Amino acid sequence: MPFPLTINGLQYVVDVEPETPLLWAIRDTLDLTGTKYGCGIGQCGACTVHVNGQAVRSCSIPVSAAVGTTITTIEGLSVDGTHPVQLAWKEFDAPQCGYCQSGMIMSAVALLQRTSAPTDDEIDSGVTNACRCGTYYRVRQAIHRAAALMSTPPAGSGGRNDDV
Amino acid sequence: MTSKQTVSDAMTAHIETAGMDRREFFITTAAVGGTLVVGCGWPRRGDAVGVTTPAAPWYRESTIPEINAWIVIAPDDTVTIRISQTELGQGVWTACAMMISEELQCDWNKVRGEYASANRDAREEAPAWTLKNPAGPEPSPTDPRGGGGEGDLPATNERISWTGVYRRMTTNRSASVKGNLYFYQLAGAEARERLLLAAAERWDVPTSELTAKDSIITHATTGRTVRYGEVATRAAELEHPHPETITIKSAHEFTLMGTERKNLDVPLKVTGQAVYAIDVKVPGTLHACAKACPVWGGDVKSYDFDAIKEMPGVHSVVQFPKPDPGLVRGRHFSGGVAVVADSWWRAKTALDALPLEWEYPPYTHLNTENMQQALVESIDEPGRLVYQQGNLEDAMAQATSVVEASYDVPYLARARMEPGNATVLVTDDRVDIWIGDQSPQETRFSASQITGIPQEQVHIHSAHLGGGFGRYGNGPQAEHAVMVAKALKGQPVKMQWTREEDWSVGTTYRAMGVARLRAGLDADGYPIAMDIRAAADQTASSPHRSLVPPGYFFPNLRVTNHFADFHVPCGTRRATGSPSNVFFVESFIEELADAAGKDSYEYRRELISRNDFLFKDDWLQALDLVAEMSEWGTPLPEGWARGIAIDDRRYDREKPDVCTIAAMVCTVSVSKAGAIRLERVDVAFDEGFGFVNPLSVRKQIEGQVAWGWNDVMHQGFTVKDGRMEQNNFHDFPVSRMSEYPREVNIRFFKTNHWLEGVGEEAMSQIPPAIVNAVFRATGKRVRSLPLRKHDLSWA
Repeated sequence: MPFPLTINGLQYVVDVEPETPLLWAIRDTLDLTGTKYGCGIGQCGACTVHVNGQAVRSCSIPVSAAVGTTITTIEGLSVDGTHPVQLAWKEFDAPQCGYCQSGMIMSAVALLQRTSAPTDDEIDSGVTNACRCGTYYRVRQAIHRAAALMSTPPAGSGGRNDDV
Repeated sequence: MTSKQTVSDAMTAHIETAGMDRREFFITTAAVGGTLVVGCGWPRRGDAVGVTTPAAPWYRESTIPEINAWIVIAPDDTVTIRISQTELGQGVWTACAMMISEELQCDWNKVRGEYASANRDAREEAPAWTLKNPAGPEPSPTDPRGGGGEGDLPATNERISWTGVYRRMTTNRSASVKGNLYFYQLAGAEARERLLLAAAERWDVPTSELTAKDSIITHATTGRTVRYGEVATRAAELEHPHPETITIKSAHEFTLMGTERKNLDVPLKVTGQAVYAIDVKVPGTLHACAKACPVWGGDVKSYDFDAIKEMPGVHSVVQFPKPDPGLVRGRHFSGGVAVVADSWWRAKTALDALPLEWEYPPYTHLNTENMQQALVESIDEPGRLVYQQGNLEDAMAQATSVVEASYDVPYLARARMEPGNATVLVTDDRVDIWIGDQSPQETRFSASQITGIPQEQVHIHSAHLGGGFGRYGNGPQAEHAVMVAKALKGQPVKMQWTREEDWSVGTTYRAMGVARLRAGLDADGYPIAMDIRAAADQTASSPHRSLVPPGYFFPNLRVTNHFADFHVPCGTRRATGSPSNVFFVESFIEELADAAGKDSYEYRRELISRNDFLFKDDWLQALDLVAEMSEWGTPLPEGWARGIAIDDRRYDREKPDVCTIAAMVCTVSVSKAGAIRLERVDVAFDEGFGFVNPLSVRKQIEGQVAWGWNDVMHQGFTVKDGRMEQNNFHDFPVSRMSEYPREVNIRFFKTNHWLEGVGEEAMSQIPPAIVNAVFRATGKRVRSLPLRKHDLSWA
């Protein structure tokens, strides 16, 4: 049956069973494949998206429960990779295989939205995504860096990413 | 191996469909499973086909001629480098490009990567002059030419040939640099020479008067310059008159290599644009969710398709046989079924509901306890002699005291993040496979054997891997997918395992292991006799690795491997045999130091100093450096302690071999209730002749800290009723941010030899270093991993 979803500011209707996890509507029906399948049981966090600004494991909520919410995926964070968290991630060359990093970044953004300058302990409790490559050392530094970037007003508008 | 035809017949899958022909099926899916998009403008990526950079290289209409098989230079100077290794987080996407660019002398800021074609590799031989390693067929690790690794890459067997145009496409054995460096360099050098020829022709001057740097060719005497992009088309036409005379730089001449370079694919990985195989969607794809008998070697007894065929989107069930062990390195996996539907979630939902009975093999009586007992019993057998020097028993009889200890380690999965998957299209005369794969040449062979279609008609479209850690950790994902797609000929099928299937049925494991070490000590507490017996599953990978000299001085030494034959498929998990063996040896050395009443760093130092081997000074340098870095011997708070370990990932070769020496100190705290924290890690790491990309090396070491912590602290697979008991993150934990040490110090030290590698050379030391530290903090010596099984409380 059809479910209207608001994702990255756009309106979609997905025609799936109501218990279909939001993850699969996002990945397979809408082809927003930046959000990853890792465990399917809400453990690893590879599927993390924002629902009404909160970091949520999208494998663990049915699409029917997402109707009427505002959803953001990694593709909606910025159009060109210039969200401060993405800039910080690039500065520290944080990803290795990269598979968990969309979810990790979405968790970090949600943390920074509620805690503008998180302590190490707040990062520990706020970002609980699993990374098998073990990128945590750089992820931690990148979160601190992103917090600093977000606390200073941008030098110009619509900055270009020259790092690509 | 049987003939192609026989294998093809045996590997044929059985299919039942939901009674729709193809046309009806598509009509039906369009009605019930379609997507209505309201509001346009958001870019859809549904047609992406395994591309990890914003281009589609392997079938692109070639409007820009290539210089050679590895290098294309566009008029705007963009350099496209074909990458023959697979990126799985270790940084080869960047490192391979650096190795070629080092000789090409191009502008690094204009370099991009694309995967080399395994299909072209099947159809085209490498030029003969590129086959020879400049350091000879058996290079010395201290010869600064060539990489020190694989010599002339002679390895060619039925499954794999390394004389194809892209040579060694296997990503394993820490070998992406040591094994491939010379032919990458040759590819870059040959292209550079032909660009110079084109410029020389344009100006009518000899090439000897030209220099190339940053994609610009300069004729110094006239001040003329030309960009690579301006002469690339002509260079592509020109043949080098004597390619066999082309020389490459030796280790001391590198300028690009050795500088920190951000990884080329990182910008794509922070925006969700990097495409892994699981993201590929070929138009018209059906989705398959597969399940095989959870006791390896088993098969399907029966299933009832009628019970699920009316479920939404269901297309068919395909029963597939056990993959031929000849295609999967002799490992025995199971037969199974795949439910095929118009979306993966529907396929999975129907598979979960499918009434299914297994035909179990005669292994259901096996469990961890009786398997471990079989390993313990094998220890008393003579075993397979790995190494021997002196006379062990005579020396043991003369010892002042004898110390003995037994250790055990569990089965471990690699637990990569991306579950096994592949998208496959089989037609009458061609196979296309979209996959992230550490060995596309072997997958090419597998697909050919299963379908009967020649390898020259098998096209592998490589994607990045969401973690790898050993090829057959990926298990028979490609074989399952090809068998299912063969049954649905003409129809692209995306086969994807669940997490549970990936970890508990589809993977191979680090072998469960048991070891008994016995040392005869002299009056000063130093070993004069050492008996090392390590037992593991028959299919264990490199069960001898890190057990043999060089290292410590054991004048009378015997190393034996012992085996029990189990049905569990073991494989090349990160660092193969070293993590088990270094845990055994470095724990035992610590116990000997305690028995001798000596400091464990000083004790190790003395045992290395007494020995005589090629890299002795480098070992001492590593140990001394890490002791200094970690402030070894200075006081720590109550409940805190340091532990030390060293290894070089040596193989059991008689001649000097490449190695990577790394020494580590782990500082832990243990609360009185027994809660452990890894507070700090200090790493002294061998730089050898130099790294390709030191930034990637740091990242690899940082990651291995987490990996080693997981090995020692959390992880263990146990067998019950012949199958694995763990299958997802809830019972096979992967540590998170909160457990990562707040302080990690890495220092490199220079040596004069080629390295074994960097992606698995800094993890084996972590478990023993932590266990040694836990003993110092609590007085409890743990000899059975993981630590979480043990009560580590202290008073």
